[in-house]
Amino acid sequence: MRHFLDALKNVGTIAKSFVRPRVTVEFPKQLRPRAERYRASFALLHEADGDEACIGCLQCERICPSKVIAIKGPVKRDSPITGKKRSYADDFTLDLSACIFCELCVQVCPTDAIVMTREQEEPAYGRETLVLTMAKLYENEKSKTRAWGDGTKLMGMQVPPKPPAEAKPADAPKPVEAKPAEATKPVEAKTAATPPPEAPKPVEAMAAATPPPDAPKPVGAEPAGTANAPKPEVKADGPAGPNGGTS
Amino acid sequence: MTQLTVSARPRPNPYLPIDSLDPEAELMLLHFGPQHPSTHGVFRMDLYLDGEIIVKAVPYVGYLHRAVEKLCEKLTYVQQTPIVDKNDYVAPMTNEQALVMVFEAMLKLEVPRRARWMRSLFAELQRIASHLLAIGTFSLDLGGALGGGSTAFIYCFRERELILDLFEDVTGSRFHYNTHTIGGNRHDLPVGWGAKVKAALELIESRMPEFAALTIENHLFQQRTKGVGVLEGALALELGITGANLRASGVDHDLRRDAPYSAYDEVKVKVATASGGDCYARSIVRVEEVKESIRLCRALLDGMPEGPINSGKPVKLPVQTKIPVGQTYVGIETPRGELGTWVIADGTQNPYRLKIRPPSLHALAALPYILPGQTVSDAVAILGSLDPIMGEVDR
Repeated sequence: MRHFLDALKNVGTIAKSFVRPRVTVEFPKQLRPRAERYRASFALLHEADGDEACIGCLQCERICPSKVIAIKGPVKRDSPITGKKRSYADDFTLDLSACIFCELCVQVCPTDAIVMTREQEEPAYGRETLVLTMAKLYENEKSKTRAWGDGTKLMGMQVPPKPPAEAKPADAPKPVEAKPAEATKPVEAKTAATPPPEAPKPVEAMAAATPPPDAPKPVGAEPAGTANAPKPEVKADGPAGPNGGTS
Repeated sequence: MTQLTVSARPRPNPYLPIDSLDPEAELMLLHFGPQHPSTHGVFRMDLYLDGEIIVKAVPYVGYLHRAVEKLCEKLTYVQQTPIVDKNDYVAPMTNEQALVMVFEAMLKLEVPRRARWMRSLFAELQRIASHLLAIGTFSLDLGGALGGGSTAFIYCFRERELILDLFEDVTGSRFHYNTHTIGGNRHDLPVGWGAKVKAALELIESRMPEFAALTIENHLFQQRTKGVGVLEGALALELGITGANLRASGVDHDLRRDAPYSAYDEVKVKVATASGGDCYARSIVRVEEVKESIRLCRALLDGMPEGPINSGKPVKLPVQTKIPVGQTYVGIETPRGELGTWVIADGTQNPYRLKIRPPSLHALAALPYILPGQTVSDAVAILGSLDPIMGEVDR
């Protein structure tokens, strides 16, 4: 008898699920919306003036835990756009089949050259298809939706003056649609210019979730706007290495 | 430690050779696994059967060995976080946390308050997700008793997906987050994330009575689990079993309360225990812990402090982090019990030795003690109730 009652109860539970909205989607026809920060594949970016942003500094190759990035370079040559001498990567290969998508290469990139895309999974018939050559990476820049993160943003989120960095998720769509303005200069200018409009965002957003006082915000916002963007760039290239060595 | 239940049943000796138990060689040897769907991965047991009763059980592990510890010796400290994500693949968030906490302890690095609270929040959300999966797969293991069992499994899976979506919003990944870094966290909470978490918690809390009705309140479930696979508290302590399996045996032990880390010194944990030590008690403890975790998540979310999320400089070069000579052990309470990491550092950017103490391995150590005397069908239930994850058993 009690088993019968249990069964009735369970049937009631299952019946409730019939009227609930569906949570699954039919995959190939319909795609689930992916988060802003979703990490799926990679792209190499151009600077605003059309020059390659990668300077071949090998930082991503060094930090990659599964060693899937191979870079030839850096080589110094004249830029076809500006005519000035600067360093380039001769060749850039990323083996997606062994990648663990840890986002460390994106984080360490000093020129925000490598970013992740947030397209859906891409199955392949062979391993060769999964090896992203330099041409494929630059093609991904045009053909795929960019994920939110790049080096400056990921680093900026972690350095102490936080409020402006935290507001960035809100304006993430902008860099996705906008022309890849990944040169160090425009990024600095952007972050320096934007803090005033950005600053109120975390206040109202956090007020909904967390009541604590918002006193430190205006204080934190000012140094962040001026010091936030340039700092990781300057420090990482020069003093970070020797500094790390001593500590 | 209060009084521990001691049963009259003599404890079987797993080291007794099979010849002494079976001089006539009349017992049947059943290879359970390694590809059996109820072994939660690749796990093999040799079961010596007298009819349907197990006389002796010999577990074999190592089918999923990936040399994670050796790999950690070869990688620099900052590169190891994404690697250990894959150990306990049902609760990756706590794996990272355990690893970076030991590095922070060795570097004597202060973690900002906001980062600590975020870590606790992530850990509690991960605990909900992990226990939901444990409850679901356990009812799948019980099989026919629950009308196939897959109803409860799919329902639990559906609710778990909500939490993975929340993690995807923060870190960009559903499983291998790589969001902890030495000195804090890598990803800050996005705007409006708190409201999403609250909505998800609300939904899961409202569905908990349904899960309970499908599993622990179901009389068939109770008949399959009550008195099955009794693990005594004294034996559990001897074998180093921790987590929900230990608390179900009546031992009130939880590192979140006994040795508070992250935000648990400010947000107090009410530890759920049960007596009996059988499969039913272990299920009860898991259901209670989900409820407690939902409460903790709300408290952590409401009190989430402002401030920086990382005390050190962000990771830039692999050689940036060097740990001075010494050795340290740090253990934290993961959904499965105490996950400890022991590191010997030699002053370079790689550890000299890194040992991971997985809670699931110790849980499996109980099998030779509690399986004899049970039937084969109960062996599946007992293994499922211990909730082992082979990825962390074999590493």
